[in-house]
Amino acid sequence: MDYLKCSLYEIRQMLENNEISSVELTKLCLDRINSTQNLNAIISTCEEQAIDAAKKCDQARKKGEKLGPLAGIPVVIKDNINLVGTKTTCASKFLENWISPFNATCAQKLIDAGAVIIGKANMDEFAMGSSTENSAFGVCRNPVNEDYVPGGSSGGSAATVASFQSFASLGTDTGGSIREPASFCGVVGLKPTYGRVSRFGVVAFASSLDQVGCFTRTVRDSAIMLNVLAGEDKKDMTSAKILVPDYEKSITGSVKGKKIGIAKQFFSDALNNEVRANIEKAIKLYEDNGAEIVDIDLPSLDTALAVYYIISSAEAASNLARFDGVKYGVRAKNFSDTVDLYFKSRTQGFGKEVKRRIMLGNYVLSSGYFDAFYRKAKKVQKIIRQEFETAFEKCDVIICPTTATVAFKLGEKCDDHLAMYLNDIYTVPVNIAGLPAISIPCGKVSNGLPVGMQLIAPHFKEETLFNFGDFYEKHAKEI
Amino acid sequence: MSDWKMVIGLEVHSELATNTKLFCSCRNKFGGEPNTNCCPVCTGMPGALPVLNKKAIEYAIKMGLAVGCTINNYSVFERKNYFYPDLSKAYQISQLEYPLCVGGGLEIEVEGKKKFINLDRIHVEEDAGKLIHDNTGTMIDYNRGGVPLIEIVSKPDISSAEEAVAYLEKLRETLLYVEVSDCKMQEGSIRFDVNLSLHKEGEPLGTRTEMKNLNSFRAVSRAIKYEAKRQAEVLNSGGKVIQETRRWDDEAGKTYSMRTKEDSQDYRYFPDPDLVPIETSDEYIDSIRKTLPKLPQERIIEYQKLGLTEQDAKLITTERKNADYFEAVVSLFNEPKFVCNWICSEIFKKLNSSEEIDTDIQVSAENLAKLLKLYKNNTINQAVARQLFDEMWKSDFDPEVAVNERGLAQMNDTTDLEKILQKIIEDNPKATAELKAGNQKTMAFFIGQTMKATAGKANPKLVGELLQKLIN
Amino acid sequence: MAKINIEEARKLAKLSRLEFSEDELKNFVAEFDKTLEQVATIEKVDVSKVSLIENTLKSDIELRSDIVEPSFTQKEILANAPEQKDGAFVVPITVE
Repeated sequence: MDYLKCSLYEIRQMLENNEISSVELTKLCLDRINSTQNLNAIISTCEEQAIDAAKKCDQARKKGEKLGPLAGIPVVIKDNINLVGTKTTCASKFLENWISPFNATCAQKLIDAGAVIIGKANMDEFAMGSSTENSAFGVCRNPVNEDYVPGGSSGGSAATVASFQSFASLGTDTGGSIREPASFCGVVGLKPTYGRVSRFGVVAFASSLDQVGCFTRTVRDSAIMLNVLAGEDKKDMTSAKILVPDYEKSITGSVKGKKIGIAKQFFSDALNNEVRANIEKAIKLYEDNGAEIVDIDLPSLDTALAVYYIISSAEAASNLARFDGVKYGVRAKNFSDTVDLYFKSRTQGFGKEVKRRIMLGNYVLSSGYFDAFYRKAKKVQKIIRQEFETAFEKCDVIICPTTATVAFKLGEKCDDHLAMYLNDIYTVPVNIAGLPAISIPCGKVSNGLPVGMQLIAPHFKEETLFNFGDFYEKHAKEI
Repeated sequence: MSDWKMVIGLEVHSELATNTKLFCSCRNKFGGEPNTNCCPVCTGMPGALPVLNKKAIEYAIKMGLAVGCTINNYSVFERKNYFYPDLSKAYQISQLEYPLCVGGGLEIEVEGKKKFINLDRIHVEEDAGKLIHDNTGTMIDYNRGGVPLIEIVSKPDISSAEEAVAYLEKLRETLLYVEVSDCKMQEGSIRFDVNLSLHKEGEPLGTRTEMKNLNSFRAVSRAIKYEAKRQAEVLNSGGKVIQETRRWDDEAGKTYSMRTKEDSQDYRYFPDPDLVPIETSDEYIDSIRKTLPKLPQERIIEYQKLGLTEQDAKLITTERKNADYFEAVVSLFNEPKFVCNWICSEIFKKLNSSEEIDTDIQVSAENLAKLLKLYKNNTINQAVARQLFDEMWKSDFDPEVAVNERGLAQMNDTTDLEKILQKIIEDNPKATAELKAGNQKTMAFFIGQTMKATAGKANPKLVGELLQKLIN
Repeated sequence: MAKINIEEARKLAKLSRLEFSEDELKNFVAEFDKTLEQVATIEKVDVSKVSLIENTLKSDIELRSDIVEPSFTQKEILANAPEQKDGAFVVPITVE
């Protein structure tokens, strides 16, 4: 029995039936991380902590105590999520030794649910990037084909689940950082509604767009994870005080009578033909099973990327200002005074992409440019949001590709950051509108790389994503 | 100097007396070991998020209402971005475009002339940490970091140092009245920035300079006088005032240039995405309005109607606790002038002689009302009243009970008193002769002797009358 | 459409507390112009009818009650400090 290949749902049953203990399973996962080190999916493992947690879980199970929904299951979290006793590097040299004295709420929720956190996943520095090539700890590779990028910024989180190192992982998504790597690595990636999951303890990139989500190998697993993660947090004022349904129960096995919105703007010429063919086949499958296709219009979609770069960079410039070498993190060796200490520490601690975004952010916020850039972008954001809201008056879910192409080769777009940015055109609008979306595997192209299909739902309607996603997953073989 | 007119605007930073900081649950407390009232939020750790303190908003609204501001139903916190070691996040959470309170103002009086000073706004922001310097380096203590402040910004309506001080005194009085700040200047819980420019009547406003972080009324007054003189000298010699921030050196009594506008910071304000806009309904604002105490200006008018002089009314309203006490006593013993006299003499004497800065009135309003009633209706004389009051201040008790138990009531019985006086007259023929000769000074001697003989209980007025009768 | 010159880039670097070599800065300016070109797509959008104020007044937002909770220890606060002394963070002498 290859336990590692099981879904989270399956392994949970095996643990419950005492087919395998959590300690055994945790060791298998840690071994797997070791044997697949070439992927560089993990920045640091927390072996001792993990084995300890697994032991406690096994003992509790033996005693017949009531266990949490993730009891004994090894998971990985992105390295921008604070976890006491581990380094939270954000894949930055600046924070290579930062150890948080407090847990992020999402990490705490995993612990409370009984999960065994085994490591911290590689990522683009401070979550800025689409390939996990901007990591101070080396590039991460795509488990499907190691010459290719796993996507980013949560590339390590996608790769660990795709390579059977763990059963689920946490990522963060600011402009597609969960869905794009999920699509590139052939796993399920969920970006919940903004405010659905607490951001407390997650090192911020762009506070108004960042959202914690998860990677799993099945849609049902994703629902199980969101059941644990979702909910209001008194420590995060932007978390929503909206009731959390039982997401697992939202999977009904039917899409009959449901309306799927298709926007022509999502199927432009930029879209790779093989990817298009796969998505269209999937839509056909839904249609054949009783779903109705409706045309929707999202006329301002092409401005979403600009809005994204303005807002995310502005917030990032401010969020990353605290990294000044005074309280934690890198302090340069030689400096003449405090101002020089700031300059040298930041210059030495940050990578190129991070610096670029800080500069852009300060540009759009600086006096004389604020109205033309930041304020204008906030207004356009509102228009985009309204267009989605109007579209959802006509449909239950919007379907489109997650990315225009499949994964690209390592190094291929390194020097062309604009081409890199264009990767995000299908995912970014979702963050701009604060909507929930999921990327699910949708076949492969001729070179064997996976395609991702993106399902987008109205605010706080993650149930729809799970129901549609699970339906496709179960019926995809029929195509 | 003479034909230059001063144009002054004041920014007052006042720490709010909440239990916790503005964005975290750490204690809002002055002093303490460095970095002991701190958490990830107020030290700017990665991943920490601010959560707004409801009390701080309530206090700011309360102050806004007390000075006639309009409270905005929609208000936004923004980030003011700049690097400085006392600022843990490298931005201060403050307000710019949508402050909590706008408009309003207060009336001041200088040399009998009344003037209304308009306010521009009151906004809420967080305080920075504290820097401690020694010869090896600068140490940073974030205990004060994140303490809630309100910044009260006046319009440039002030035209002299005296007006500035009158305005600040009034503002401080109001802050204490509505009990939102303890205004302890020695702890820096209230601090002042002065903007000053000069111009000539009928001409456009001049270039202003800013003096930051003054921490006493005296410093404000001196800084204004110095800076006005300096600017006048610059202008009179044909020079131009440079727009800049100047540091006030209290010891030297001078201002120094700190930074000019050219290299002034670009703060890149934008709405803090970690916080949501504050929406306050009219109902909520009204519920705070209901908690407002009566303010001095209102009380002064009211007290004058009760028969107090304007001077006494002002004196008794300078501090809210005294005014509240006055009202409490009067509600039990409706002799306002009599009560006021006692408070302004006996109680203020006690308060002023106390070594502690913030002594409370030690006698309950009920007991003082009883005491004054006993005194007023001649049950006890003034000496006994004072003596009892002294004792009550040390340890409060019911004076009615004490008067009964200790038999302290005045001797108002003429036959008893006559007997005692008769004896004193017989024992002191020399003094009696002097009194007969019209030497009124000896009257004091007789009263003293009578008091001695009656253990202080004699009614002195009655003693005088009886004495006159007996010697004639 | 906005373009940036090397002088502005230098100012921006100062504002960002970042140091760049002249070559880096030149490179940056070239890249930055391309980014601004991309960002300029919002210029054409008519936002004249959009207000950023959202007066929903759904309810008074729930804010934090003014109740003290235990702070972190001084040791925890200073655990990651590059330099510390007597319970405080330390930087070179900084007087304004």
